[in-house]
Parts: sequence; structure tokens; C-alpha cells
Amino acid sequence: MNTETEYITPAEAIDYVTEPVVRVEHVTKEFVTGGNRFLALDDVSLEIHRGEMVAIMGPSGSGKSTLMTILGLLDVPTSGSYWLDGQDVSKLDRVQQARVRNQKLGFVFQNFNLLPRLTALKNVELPLVYGRVGAREREERARQALEAVGLGAKLHNRPNELSGGQKQRVAIARALVSNPAMVLADEPTGALDTRTGAEIMGLFRQLNREQGITIVIVTHDPEIGKQMDRVIGLRDGRITENILQEYYHVALAAEELELPAREKETVAVPVIRTEQE
Amino acid sequence: MFKELAFMAIDSLRANKFRSLLTMLGIIIGSATLVAVLSLGNALQSQVFERFVDLGTRRIAVLPGDPQARGARDIPGYGLLSIQDYRALEQLVARHPDVFRTIVPEVSLRVQARFGGSAANPTVVGTTKDYQMVQTVPVQYGRFLTDDDDRQAARVAVLGALIAEDLFGKENVKDAVGKTIEVNGQPLQVIGVLRQLGGPFSSDQRILVPVSTARLRIAGSQDLPGRGLQMSSILLSLQSERLVERGEALVTATLRATRNVPDGAIDDFRLNLPTQALGVLAGINGAITGFIALVAGISLVVGGIGIMNIMLVAVTERTREIGVRKALGATDGDVLSQFVLEAVAISVAGSLLGVTGAIGLVALVGVAAGLAVSISWVAVVLALAFACAIGVGFGYYPARRAALLLPIEALRYE
Repeated sequence: MNTETEYITPAEAIDYVTEPVVRVEHVTKEFVTGGNRFLALDDVSLEIHRGEMVAIMGPSGSGKSTLMTILGLLDVPTSGSYWLDGQDVSKLDRVQQARVRNQKLGFVFQNFNLLPRLTALKNVELPLVYGRVGAREREERARQALEAVGLGAKLHNRPNELSGGQKQRVAIARALVSNPAMVLADEPTGALDTRTGAEIMGLFRQLNREQGITIVIVTHDPEIGKQMDRVIGLRDGRITENILQEYYHVALAAEELELPAREKETVAVPVIRTEQE
Repeated sequence: MFKELAFMAIDSLRANKFRSLLTMLGIIIGSATLVAVLSLGNALQSQVFERFVDLGTRRIAVLPGDPQARGARDIPGYGLLSIQDYRALEQLVARHPDVFRTIVPEVSLRVQARFGGSAANPTVVGTTKDYQMVQTVPVQYGRFLTDDDDRQAARVAVLGALIAEDLFGKENVKDAVGKTIEVNGQPLQVIGVLRQLGGPFSSDQRILVPVSTARLRIAGSQDLPGRGLQMSSILLSLQSERLVERGEALVTATLRATRNVPDGAIDDFRLNLPTQALGVLAGINGAITGFIALVAGISLVVGGIGIMNIMLVAVTERTREIGVRKALGATDGDVLSQFVLEAVAISVAGSLLGVTGAIGLVALVGVAAGLAVSISWVAVVLALAFACAIGVGFGYYPARRAALLLPIEALRYE
């Protein structure tokens, strides 16, 4: 039914209203090191909906990084399925994975991972280069993305001329520039001081509210977890409920458990709860 | 996409300028050697060929046979050439204008020459005006021999440059024309002085006179019993280098007939064919050029290994960058192209440097040695193409390693 290149499910076949951005079903990930089998993810199922801002939390070794790499198509699950934006992406080859990463996902890393020899503008253009976007459009879109994160004045600065917060803003612009279905951020404030970290979180929240961008943040910082629409907890490779309270011992005020008020409800967002099996 | 990849490749060269330069060294030397050797080889070859053109690349020289040769017949005056042979060949030339351009006699005599108090012992060559067609005898002052000189057995002489210097002194050579010298006691008027050419086959040490003058006024009796004037050699000029075999056959048949060489007996004359000499010369030159080109090739390959080495280092160093690029959507092919192109950029940049250096060097050598050098563009193209191939060849393996890195492992690499 699909030709080789037409691996993406036709847009008209996807019900974008009801289809979650991420639908993970019974995913396991097994690592074999030196003959020992290690189950990093054990039958994980979850959904992330359009416009959600979600944290994946858990202690070291809980499997949150593994889940992040699978959500980011940087690795494939041992078993189970993964639908991203309505498309089954668990059985793609490497080229197809690269295309999906390029078109559907934006990455923000703890240590920014900007290319040091490129200006902010060129760094942001990079995903569009791999998306085969023409030079003029590329530059225009990169400029807009940088302006959207408040760096319109730093277009031609190299990373070493930027502060940590500015670098992370460039990285966020880079993650946004290809209009992805979801932005995946791995400890995005981990390398920043508290104040700058708060600014970055504010930026994420602003992008999420104003543009309805789906954001998934992997963190073990309960302060960040508290600001999320929802927290997906992981312990020993399994989904666990109420991780904030039970593991991080965060006493959530009643109002913090509520959904933050949305000014513009651009997409239908289901009631946010931790995953129910 | 290619533009972006090329930009990345060049940018990464600029990021590590010194390292890139060191990496390029093998390719620089290899390319430079290739271009310099092939260019100078060409120049050297054409210069040697030009010297041979002095003797004539389109020339068959008939020389006396060797009485000591195996199969030589035991008759008086065996092998010697005479005017009879010349006449026979002259008719042959007239019958085959499509093969032969001209025929020229050479009567060489060792003589004593004097002018004022100066003396020299040059060779006088009696010949005709067509000598200019078989030998490079550029006239610097005055004129060359004419047919009239020959008809009148005129007392005239054209001096080789060194003889003119010996007789008149270096600074007076330009005034030599019109002066009268004595050759074996005979007064001869200098009508021309040749430009100095150098080399063992040039006419620098000769005095050229009309063949009739040589015979009548200088040689006394050089005649062979019953056969007329003895000749040192007879030179035939061909219409084209391609006619050497045809000319050889015609000359051999004519001479055997004129000289009554019995069937089955060996030729009692020798033919000096230009092709043999040229072939040997080209062979030697080709062997030397080939050998040095091989050395250049080895240098290029070694340079390629250097590139492979540095690219492997680069892939390790830039593992995180590769991971980032892949996370952003670079396919294995994109990463492969990037690193292959980088290797090609190193090798081609090195090759360009080498080629540029070689062109400068060749020009310098040309000026210094007074050679008419020309850059061998074939060598330039060859060097660049070879460098390109080496970039691809030796860049492929490291690039493939980069391309096959798992994005997650590359991102986690510390």
C-alpha cells in the first residue's frame, strides 16, 4: 500500500484531533552487556497529547533516558510499538528514522550541543539543511525562530560568545525551526544556574501556551516537575504513579495539581492525569 | 545540499589549519612532484629532441660501410662513399618528391685555418645550401651558402661560432663577415657566422664551404679510383617522420644497385635512421619520467594514508557532533558525504597547493636553466584527479565509521 518513500501515513488518514502525539504501547528495551541482560524499560505504555507539557521523571537508572531515546527515535525498542503523530515509527529503517527526527522532533540537550564553529543562525538552520530546505527560506525561518526565543540580536554570534541561557535559547530555536510535532528536552536546565534555568522553563511554558507546542522534558528536578501539566514517573523501567510525591516527596499544593489556566485553547487537550492502564 | 556539505568541509579545514596543512603534506609533495617531473620531463625531452632535430628527425644519413664488419667483402675502398652514390641518390630524390625533400652531400676535411696570428684546426664541411634543411645552422651574421657559391666554387666560408671566436676573438666576431681567412693556405672570404648552439652535434666547430670549393680548392685529390669525389656522408631529408621506413627501403635498394652489391652480401654502407635514436631517447626519458611519477604516486598514496589517519581521529573527536547532526535529522548518507567530502577537500586543497608550487618551481627552473618549459596540464589534471580519488578512497572508511555511529551512542560520547 505504501511505496518505499511513502512511509509516512497519509495526513488524511490521521485523526489529528483524537490521535495523541505519542502513543507508546507495551514497549520494552533490553540491553545485553557482557552476557547480562538488563531490562531498561519493562512494558511501558503511555500517551502524550497535543499541546501537553510533560515531564518524564525518575531516579538514575529508572529508564527515563532510555525512554527519551526511544521517543526521540535515537534508539529502537526491543518490543512494543510506538506511534508518533499517528504514524507507526517502531519499525523504521535508519534513513526513515532520520527523516522523522528531522521533521517531527526537536531536541534540546542539557549541554546545548551547539556546533561551536557555526553562528547562532547557522546552528538553527542545521535541521533545515538536512530537511533539504532552500537557503533563503532556511535563513528566514531560522531568523524567525531565534526572534521567537528572544535572540533576534544575536543571530551572527558564535556559541562561545553567548551565555549559557542564550545557548539554550539557540538550542530551543533549533528544536523549533522545523515545526516539529514534539520537542524533547533532556535536562534542559541542568547546566544552567537557577535563575537562568527558570527563564528557560518560562520560555518553554510560553512556547507551549502561545504556540501549543508539545513539550516533553526529561528531568530529575522536582521543581521542574511541579511546573508541568503532567509527570510521567519511571522507576526500574516501569511507569509509576505519583512519583513526585512518593519519590521526590514533593507536597503539591492543591492549586498546583490543577491544570495551569490556558489563555488560548488551540487544541483539544484531554484531562491530564497520570497514565491509567 | 552539496553546497552546505562543501561549506562544512572547508570550514572544518579552516578550523584546524595547521593540522590540515600537515595532513596535506604528502599530497602536496606528491602532486608537486608529479606536475614538476612531468612538466620538466616534457621540457627536457623536447629540448633533447630539438638537439636531435639538429641532426634531423626526418633525416636518413648514409655513412660509409665498415670494412671490419662481419661479411664485409675484401675489395679495395670497401664501404667508401663517392659522388656516384650521391648522383644515384639525387636521381632517387628527384623521382620520389613525395618521400624525399632534398639531398645534401657532406665532404668533411680536417684543415688548418688562420686569420692574422690566430690559428685553429677545424673541420671543413663541403656541402650545399640545402644543408640548412638537414641541420640547424642558424646564421647570426652575414648569410648562408647559395647555389651560386657552389656553381662557382666560390672562395667563401660560413664559420661556426666557436671557430669564429678562435680566429677573430670573441668581441670581433660580429665584424668577421667580409674578412678573408686562410684554410689550408687557400684564402676564403667569410660570408656568414653561425649562432652558437652547443652540443656535440652542432656546427659550432665547423667551417662550411660549398662542396665544389671543398673539392677543388681545399681537398686536393680526395677522389676514389674510378668513382670520383669521396664523400664523408650523404644526408637525405624526408617529407615526414612517417616515411623513414619507405625512404630506408628506397635508399638501400638504390645504393645496392649503384654499388653492385651482390645478392646475399651485406650492405657496404650504413644508414643512420633517426627513429632508432629517437625511440631509445624517448624510451629512456619515459622510463625516468615513469619512475619519478611512480615515486610521486607512492607519495600520494602515503598522503592518502595520512588523510585516513587524521579522518579517523576527526571522527573520534567529533563523535558528539555526529550525534547532534544525526539527532537533527542527518541521515547516514549525509554524514558519510560530509566526511568523504572533508577528506576530498583536504586532498584536493593539498593537491592545488602542490600543483601551484610545482608551476612556480617549473617556471623558476625554466628561467634559471634557460629551458623552454611548459606546464604539463595533463599532469595537473592527473594530480588533481588522483588526489580526488585518494580523498574518496581513503576518506571512505573513516566516513563510513562516522555514518554508522548510533546517534544515541554518539550523543553520549564523552
